[in-house]
Amino acid sequence: MPRVNTVLGPIPTEELGLVAVHEHIGYGMPGSELDTRWWKTPEERYDETVPKLRQFHEYGGGTFVDATGICNGRDVNYYQSLSEKTGVHIVASTGFVGGDTALPFFARATVDYLAAHFTHEITVGIGNTGGKAGIIKVGVSRGGRMTDLDKRIYRAAARAALATGVPVLTHLAIDAENAIAIFTEEGLPLDRVLFGHVDDGVNADKTRDTWIADQGGRIGFDTFGYETELPDPPFWARPRKERLEHFLRFIGEGRLHQVLASADANCSPLGWPGVEGHTVNYIFEDLIPDLRAAGLDEAAIRTIFVDNPASFLSIAN
Amino acid sequence: MNGNPPAEGPTVNTVLGPVPASELGVISVHEALLSVVPGAEHAFDVTIDRAEIFEALAAKLRDFRGHGGGTIVDSTGMFHGRDVRLLEALSRATGVHIVASTGMGPEELLGGYFLTPQTNPPTPWPAEKFADLFGKEVTEGMVVPRVERRGAAGLVTTTATREGMTATDESLFRGAAHAAVSTGVPVSIRFGADAVHDLEIVLDEGLPAGRVVVGGLDRTDAYAAGWPLAVARRGAYVALDHVGTEGDGHVSDAERAALVAELVESGHGDRVLLSIGTPGVSKGEPTRDLTPEQPWSHLLTTFVPLLKTRGLSDEDVQRIVVDNPRDLLTVGPHAAHEQEVA
Ligand SMILES: [Zn+2]
Repeated sequence: MPRVNTVLGPIPTEELGLVAVHEHIGYGMPGSELDTRWWKTPEERYDETVPKLRQFHEYGGGTFVDATGICNGRDVNYYQSLSEKTGVHIVASTGFVGGDTALPFFARATVDYLAAHFTHEITVGIGNTGGKAGIIKVGVSRGGRMTDLDKRIYRAAARAALATGVPVLTHLAIDAENAIAIFTEEGLPLDRVLFGHVDDGVNADKTRDTWIADQGGRIGFDTFGYETELPDPPFWARPRKERLEHFLRFIGEGRLHQVLASADANCSPLGWPGVEGHTVNYIFEDLIPDLRAAGLDEAAIRTIFVDNPASFLSIAN
Repeated sequence: MNGNPPAEGPTVNTVLGPVPASELGVISVHEALLSVVPGAEHAFDVTIDRAEIFEALAAKLRDFRGHGGGTIVDSTGMFHGRDVRLLEALSRATGVHIVASTGMGPEELLGGYFLTPQTNPPTPWPAEKFADLFGKEVTEGMVVPRVERRGAAGLVTTTATREGMTATDESLFRGAAHAAVSTGVPVSIRFGADAVHDLEIVLDEGLPAGRVVVGGLDRTDAYAAGWPLAVARRGAYVALDHVGTEGDGHVSDAERAALVAELVESGHGDRVLLSIGTPGVSKGEPTRDLTPEQPWSHLLTTFVPLLKTRGLSDEDVQRIVVDNPRDLLTVGPHAAHEQEVA
């Protein structure tokens, strides 16, 4: 029976519903917890988060994939309480957003150790929470090229993915030749990898999205909503129309079954100000209406937000 | 929040609040109570049982106190396992004064928040921001991450990369010095490849040399280069902070004792500090998992007698284990140390 690990335990794939495949309850760079300027009381954190998840649920959202890696403020027992109280399935990640977010203990670790750690978090649980990871996060450090540590993390992720059947999700799809070489060497089929952030404003030009798709990878247009039109856009923002056209062009070339889409929003950011007005609900409030307006039918929308994530997230055995 | 009445006269910041400097007794100035390699707290095969850690540390602190110890300085900084509430409970339970530190380093031990911030480009933190972060741990209290601030840090500690100070290490050193100048607590530095060079960086920020302790001066490279004497001449404190460690890049206790005698004979007895530097409990560093039962009392039971055989008087010893670290840790504005012995 196809299943997915959520923070409250495995669920049948049929129950996932509409999936936001790359989101964050709250993200902060490691060390940001030392800087009181970002601190929020538990009341504030729940207050900023619960209404967004409830709204997501009321819009028909089923599953929220939290792509926050180890050391980035990942907080599984908090996610468990949020999931239990709002009814939204939450899938947590093992792995790292990039080598530059792995703290020294992990930065010094071997590929074997990292693979054992990821596997433990998928099969036994994360810390003492009992919650198991449903996805493995990897990524490219700041600077545009994979560092040695990034590569060790990708290789360990590939091994843990093969051992457990859980898929891999990447932060950035630049330097994809190196990433694909590692996955291929390790024997991980590329449909078990979601190459994320191909649509981001800084890297879209440098990302070989069609080439990655030709190799068999899944493609994540998963920074929808980070728009230059926002009152205070982040440096990775992109004009709304440009991103939408990029997405439509990409699926128009017969790649509908390879795409996933998400908003990469923070419900309540941990170590940065966040982006005012941007939430996971962009998917319902802006993106799906835009896709309908562009002529996509309900079957295509279901493929992007329900069927593709179900096939990607199902533990492969 | 702390149990001590307001102290009169010169004080030292302990985890239970300011304590009169005269009450500290014998001080071990460069220790680590709980040491956790950043990130190890998330590792699947590392167990952090605070009750078990408390029990182990309390036994070691009682042993230290039983042999005449008064104060332990936890110089691990703010990001290497520091657990302020645990330290408070340990101090209360054992009667040993505990001075905790702010600061961090070297670059390799920092979190990405400081090295690759979410800005374009991701420029590492400059000295002023570190100064502000560390200074507030003295003026507003040490952080329990994302929860609360507790008592004031008693010193700022930082370390340079062993192969040589990096640009971010230099920002840490300058930031630490700046925080010390503005708050009156001292700075502890562990040098990288060149003790004198690294000391000059903090002095360049206007910090009097008498407010600085240089650690690691019983490393074989420091010994060979003559840095202990050079640092003392410059007016900073010389920490021989691996007492009991032989090999592993450090001189023997016999050489260490000879070095102390030499510093005292050359008129630098008021600049010498001693410490053991073996963590009470260590997590995330497999080679250090087995820590000795009685790490900190070795200073008084074994090393002090060795110093006496090298001709040190009781007064010399008293100065080194009580007076010098007390003067270093005493909070307040300090005049530059005028010593420049030829
Ligand atoms: Zn993300």
